[in-house]
Amino acid sequence: MFRSQRLALKYFAAAMTLFGIMVAAGLLASTYYVHDGFLLNKLDFSVAKMLHIDTMVIWLLMGFIGSVYWFLPIELERETEGIKLAEIMFWIFCAAVAVVAAVFIFVQYGPATEMSLWFVNQGRKYVEAPRWAALGVTLVVLVFVYNVVATAIKAKKITGIIGVLMVDLIPLFGLYLIAFPSITNLSEDQYWWWWLVHLWVEATWEILIGCIMALALLQLLGTARRIVETWLYIEVALVLGTGILGLGHHYFWIGTPDYWLSIGGFFSALEPLPLLGMVVHAVYDAGAHRMKTTNKPAFYWVMAEAFGNFIGGGVFGFMMTLPQINLFTHGTQWTVSHGHFAFWGAYGCGVIAVIYLALQKARASAQLDGRLWKWSFALLNIGLVGMVGALLVAGIAQAFYERAMGGSTLQAFMQGQSNVWFVQGIVMRAIFGLVFALGYVVLMYDLLTIGKRRVAAAALKPHVAGGPA
Amino acid sequence: MSAAQMLSTSLLLGTFVLLAGCYGLLYCLARLRGSGRLGRAAAAAYLFQGLATGLLALGSLELWWKGLLVASFVAFAAIPPLTWRFLERLHAAEEQHS
Amino acid sequence: MYAADPAFWRAGAISSTLVMLVVLVLLTVDSLATIRPGGANVPPYTVINKEIRYEFDGDAHRYRPVIGADQQLFGQTYSPEEAEKLMRLGKLVIQSRNCMNCHTFFGNGAYYAPDLTKAWLDPAWQQMWMPMTQAATREEAIAAFLMNPEKYPTWSRQMPNLKLSREEAVALVAYLKWMSAVETNGFPIHFGHIQTN
Repeated sequence: MFRSQRLALKYFAAAMTLFGIMVAAGLLASTYYVHDGFLLNKLDFSVAKMLHIDTMVIWLLMGFIGSVYWFLPIELERETEGIKLAEIMFWIFCAAVAVVAAVFIFVQYGPATEMSLWFVNQGRKYVEAPRWAALGVTLVVLVFVYNVVATAIKAKKITGIIGVLMVDLIPLFGLYLIAFPSITNLSEDQYWWWWLVHLWVEATWEILIGCIMALALLQLLGTARRIVETWLYIEVALVLGTGILGLGHHYFWIGTPDYWLSIGGFFSALEPLPLLGMVVHAVYDAGAHRMKTTNKPAFYWVMAEAFGNFIGGGVFGFMMTLPQINLFTHGTQWTVSHGHFAFWGAYGCGVIAVIYLALQKARASAQLDGRLWKWSFALLNIGLVGMVGALLVAGIAQAFYERAMGGSTLQAFMQGQSNVWFVQGIVMRAIFGLVFALGYVVLMYDLLTIGKRRVAAAALKPHVAGGPA
Repeated sequence: MSAAQMLSTSLLLGTFVLLAGCYGLLYCLARLRGSGRLGRAAAAAYLFQGLATGLLALGSLELWWKGLLVASFVAFAAIPPLTWRFLERLHAAEEQHS
Repeated sequence: MYAADPAFWRAGAISSTLVMLVVLVLLTVDSLATIRPGGANVPPYTVINKEIRYEFDGDAHRYRPVIGADQQLFGQTYSPEEAEKLMRLGKLVIQSRNCMNCHTFFGNGAYYAPDLTKAWLDPAWQQMWMPMTQAATREEAIAAFLMNPEKYPTWSRQMPNLKLSREEAVALVAYLKWMSAVETNGFPIHFGHIQTN
């Protein structure tokens, strides 16, 4: 195994640990809704929620970085350049995350000064980490970019996939710089903030996971390089073709000109089209191989990715993206429902698939299968869909009662939150959150043990050509 | 837009894309298994998507959005067969190559 | 077939991305002009010295903020420089106290606490908090609440005490007043008007 791949395994371990903290913070955050006064003035909702969303961003980012460190040496057929520096940066990254989390939990707030922004909390959603930590993340990403580019230069080789990856690293790094400024004018502040959030999550990250999936498919299904590359370019064209101006769907209500209502709505409405193409591609691949594969869990998680992305992003997004609808739904649990489903489908499933792939090689297992992964697959996906469905009900109740009927005031908000459909939705969300959490526990146990357990010969069904998988 | 219109329109929009997905999935399965029944199921899903499109066209959205939805409906028809054929040709070309 | 050639699609990816980026940059230049304080949609910070109303505009078919006559805030009229300083402090309050992770601003943030876009115009200040705090003006009621929310609860879900100083509370109230005058294309939907159908 390359040193880069050993580093990848460390990143995966860190990622999965943060996934667990994300789940715990999520369960915590859901409790405030069902239990008034919970931990008031000790650990407020804002802290729990911030931990939940920030660990989500970082576990995925670590998953992506780990995936690249895993595949890069295989793709370029040499050790990653600057690997020692990368190893140091990994530990700095982990330490910074721990310190920031501790400050969030134990210090929580500072006075309204620049010092607070530098050392406590910047208070902009997803990028609350104080500036010193944002500098740390910037450094980690810079070293990561150096690793990728330097390795390609040393290898005197840039494959199509690595080429796309390298270009994608420019906005990955550049957009993150928007985490630093504090702009007085909220309209302008949010204008740029959305460049970071949307163009990361609905553009740069999509390309990044596309590259990672391409590298994964080369290994998982032995697909020909030309095919994987062609498909990647098509994906880039369609995702960026719709996603760049799809940014406009965040510019409906922040004070920007109203041409954004048309432009944002139009391009955003086109976003499901490439996602359907990805579903077709996934089914084609599955069918072409008759669901036979040497890594069952990875294969199933890749399928989950294609479908989850389509339903979570495409279906749920489309419900609320037209501006005349969004006027009612914006800033309600409807958004939360779409967000959970889309992040899970577009990114969560993909990272888990890659981890299973890496584990197969790390544990030198010719055939990765078992019973546990199926349980975690079921529990996580059922838990997620349950949460999302519950939040959809709650969100619809809000859009209907608080906004459409109630007039969107404080009074209307309070009434919406007490509405019976809302309350039921929020309770069911907490329950399905527990199901999801159980799925996580099983997943962790499986990741720690799969490929290591001695599987009885009888449990492995022989693979006869043309027979059932 | 009234509260009821908002609710019906948003649910129809979600259904619209969901049915597109069903059509796509069934189409692929039909091609994989060479099944006429699955092919007809795919066509039925597309027809239901058409029904959703029709209801949206009769609803309270402005003309330009209705036009966009109808155009999307037409585009969705083409995506599964075009993508499938493209993938087949791509794989065939690759086999020839090697 | 050329469609099987990756280079064809690579060219497509590069061109579609570049075209979209150029359009985005052009639209950004225009949008930034619209959203700067004093631009078409965003009032100058000195709007805190004016009365703000929210009225239905028949032509635009939506509610819009309307800037009215002079109205002092906390018993004074702020110069442009004073107003800007006040806004800067108000924004720092919002960031340092992590408001965006309970509340929403222009609908963005967290959904545990109410949206604050039009909070300055909320009838609850006159109906509930002015009597409770015995404040003479709306802004004094809001400031009193923000500094000691535990003294003036209106709901079982309570706002935590974020240890705001008087100076910070005043700045935050001014910020909320300015924010309510931003043209948000009608968001949140028909604020303050209950539908009967």
